[in-house]
Amino acid sequence: MDTPTNLVDKPVVPGDVVLDLSTMANQTIKLGAGLRQDCDTISAMKAGKLRLSKPNKYWIESSQKRYVPCVEDTVLGIVVDTKPDNFLVDIKGPNLAFLPVLAFEGGTRRNIPKFEIGTLIYARVVKANSIMNPELSCTDAGGKAAEFGPLKDGYMFETSTGLARMLLSSPMCPVLEALGKKLSFETAVGLNGRVWVNASSPSNVILVSNAIMRSEFLSGTQQRIMVEKLMDRLQ
Amino acid sequence: MRAMGMDRLDGRNANQMRPLTCSRNLLHRAHGSARWSQGDTIVLAAVYGPKAGTRKGDDPEKASIEVIWKPKTGQIGKQEKEYEMILKRTLQSICLLTSHPNTTTSVIVQVVGDDGSLLPCAINASCAALVDAGIPLKHLAVAICCGLSETGSVILDPTKVEEQKMQAFMHLVFPNSPLAVLPEGSSSKHDEPFEHGIITSVTHGAMPERGYFNCLDRGRAASAAISEFLRRSLQKDGS
Repeated sequence: MDTPTNLVDKPVVPGDVVLDLSTMANQTIKLGAGLRQDCDTISAMKAGKLRLSKPNKYWIESSQKRYVPCVEDTVLGIVVDTKPDNFLVDIKGPNLAFLPVLAFEGGTRRNIPKFEIGTLIYARVVKANSIMNPELSCTDAGGKAAEFGPLKDGYMFETSTGLARMLLSSPMCPVLEALGKKLSFETAVGLNGRVWVNASSPSNVILVSNAIMRSEFLSGTQQRIMVEKLMDRLQ
Repeated sequence: MRAMGMDRLDGRNANQMRPLTCSRNLLHRAHGSARWSQGDTIVLAAVYGPKAGTRKGDDPEKASIEVIWKPKTGQIGKQEKEYEMILKRTLQSICLLTSHPNTTTSVIVQVVGDDGSLLPCAINASCAALVDAGIPLKHLAVAICCGLSETGSVILDPTKVEEQKMQAFMHLVFPNSPLAVLPEGSSSKHDEPFEHGIITSVTHGAMPERGYFNCLDRGRAASAAISEFLRRSLQKDGS
């Protein structure tokens, strides 16, 4: 088997050696998801496509049903328990996340929000490592609320992490653009594979949700055609 | 010890495996799932996890793996417990246990059809299901069954009927052949390539030492083909 010189943008499986560090002295390399260092080599831990962001960021792009928490990700969590200091929130990861009761804009001990079990929260991951429970916050880095907090009404459904990333990509993903031309709705997408949709009528909510769920494996043009067909059926 | 071109019931020659199929992401609720078939032996594996908390008594600094084997018919007995233990040890050696400490990953194996070579089929299915769930792995595991007859000839991937006729048979698990961007003649090319290691070996029946090493060589050679098949099936876009 001839050894490939460069595996960037090619599919890899666990165990593939993607970088040899002995040839690259005095360089800093940043490793993202799915890669680990094994003495002098970098090898893959997950199956997916190896990506490189110049100058030196490598990661494996893959899509899963579960989520691995990363700092600065925006996620949709569901409250499962309340403690005196934290809300325990499920974010589809290996551990439950903590949301401190004071992590809200203008949050003091006197105005702690009352979340029932089952409340859907849009939050930002502040601390995440494999050893501890991740920590969330409902403020942005500057302390402002910035759309974070509980989401009322609407409908939430679960997707894979790959579809969530596609929905958040810029330029806007074709299915959302096509839906936005004809309908008005609001969505919140969590990188942990949860999507919340709200619109004025339930049939619009169902239409938008079904369109998003079906668009995962379609190309741009296929997504536009699919949305047009759904719209025709509605009229 | 000439291989006499054994006449196998289904017309294969001694070194030929049954057709392999692998499909992933079949189960809606499982976090990872795969269905692996070798001829009429079909196994469905589902992976749930990582979930918080280890079982009592397991090391909290590592992830723990729990295996449940469900036979096609009948109650769970000693044979199923043995399969669970072998599968658990094999998967523990390919998973990176320190990447998610204090979590449990459950692997559930359901036998859909059994026509010989059942344990290797289950190991292959579990490995594909772990990849589908995104559990971090050191490398993949490729499993194969070899049968040894009284004359010393080796056949690969025996069916149930052939297994009963053999003097001995064994299940072997090898690591997959990795793609590497290492330059030629680098110092990391040790005496033997990586895929010549062996992860698991389970033997049934008595065999001479030569026979065992013969089977090992044949199994290793065939594992390269299975490894290539697994790589191609993992690269296809999901669903």
